[in-house]
Amino acid sequence: MSKKHIDEIEKQMKLANAGLPEKEQGLFENTRPTTVDAFNKYYEGFLNWARSRSLWMLAFGTGCGATELRPLMTSRYDMSRYGIAPRPTPRQASVFVVGGYASIKTIKRIVRSYEQMQGPKYVIALGSCTINGGMYYDSYNTINRLDYYIPVDVYIAGCMPRPEALIAGFKRLKEKIRAGECEGMNDYVEKFDWYKENQKQIIKDWNMPDYNW
Amino acid sequence: MIDKTKKELEIRFPLLKLVREMHNYLHVEVEKASAMDAILMAKTSLGFKTLQLISSVDRMEENLFQMTWILENYNNETTLLISARYPRENCIVPSLSDIWPAASAFEREIFEMFGISFPGNPREGEDFLLEGWKDIPPMRRDFLTEEYSMKLYGERQPREHLDPRQYIGDMVGEWNTPMGQKRKEEK
Repeated sequence: MSKKHIDEIEKQMKLANAGLPEKEQGLFENTRPTTVDAFNKYYEGFLNWARSRSLWMLAFGTGCGATELRPLMTSRYDMSRYGIAPRPTPRQASVFVVGGYASIKTIKRIVRSYEQMQGPKYVIALGSCTINGGMYYDSYNTINRLDYYIPVDVYIAGCMPRPEALIAGFKRLKEKIRAGECEGMNDYVEKFDWYKENQKQIIKDWNMPDYNW
Repeated sequence: MIDKTKKELEIRFPLLKLVREMHNYLHVEVEKASAMDAILMAKTSLGFKTLQLISSVDRMEENLFQMTWILENYNNETTLLISARYPRENCIVPSLSDIWPAASAFEREIFEMFGISFPGNPREGEDFLLEGWKDIPPMRRDFLTEEYSMKLYGERQPREHLDPRQYIGDMVGEWNTPMGQKRKEEK
């Protein structure tokens, strides 16, 4: 292959950032995200054990289900007993709790926050709205299924789920992390184009970089 | 309290229609040409100094939009609603944003949801809730929300049966009481 071909392929591999104005396109990264391989079995097992015992949750209330996170955080149900702590920014968090319905305006922020989180990262979706639309199934402005747009590890059904159900959901997430089944981050990278296509289908004014980090 | 307001409005606007009246609440409907005059009169001489809400109703059958301005007088705790009807095609309603700056937000929302334009609003056309909406405005009644949702966000699979009797059988309802048991044995 000549240098011209290689350049062309490299250009295709890069992200276009076409939604941004031309002035700003150079300011953002245009490389694609890459998958992260696991370490050897024993070391990865140890890391998974450590990860499952210190879940830092992004405290970003995206829907009405986020009201159930307040009793979970505070002394009544006290989630710090289980090694879960709220963090104010996506950069410091490892668990993204999507609280209930997600409107188009919110899903834009959800995608941005999810991509800004550092790996390993997990997603818990609570409420029936994230599973099949729930009571907002015929709304013009809320999505029906969350896992078309970001990968989801654990769903918690209910409208809205009580803090006990959330604790059960976090317990299930811990078991999955211990078993090494939470591959949402790599899944997002492998099916990156599919996720982007779905996201751009509903977000009509795409005015952010294709991959935010 | 409200009688005085009503009397003064009736003197000024003879074509005024009374919709509803209570001891501290008055809803009137005026001609669209005199709607702004009525609102200004209510603000300057009748003491309704607060704008609470601007709302709009799509009357598709009559090919009209019904606009309602809700005003409040906190001195004697009375509410005044002034309605007017505007034709539905290329609907243009005067803006109130230079009288009440708060009206700007309501008008932007109505522009987004119904497509009613308010010339004179400095922030008209800015995104309010729907970012980058390209379809017809969603609160118009000819917008089919369920169809739109199915097309864009995918269908949802409903549960097949909702009858609890199928799942818990005799545990439910009438059979679960002593009288019910007796009746069941008789059957």
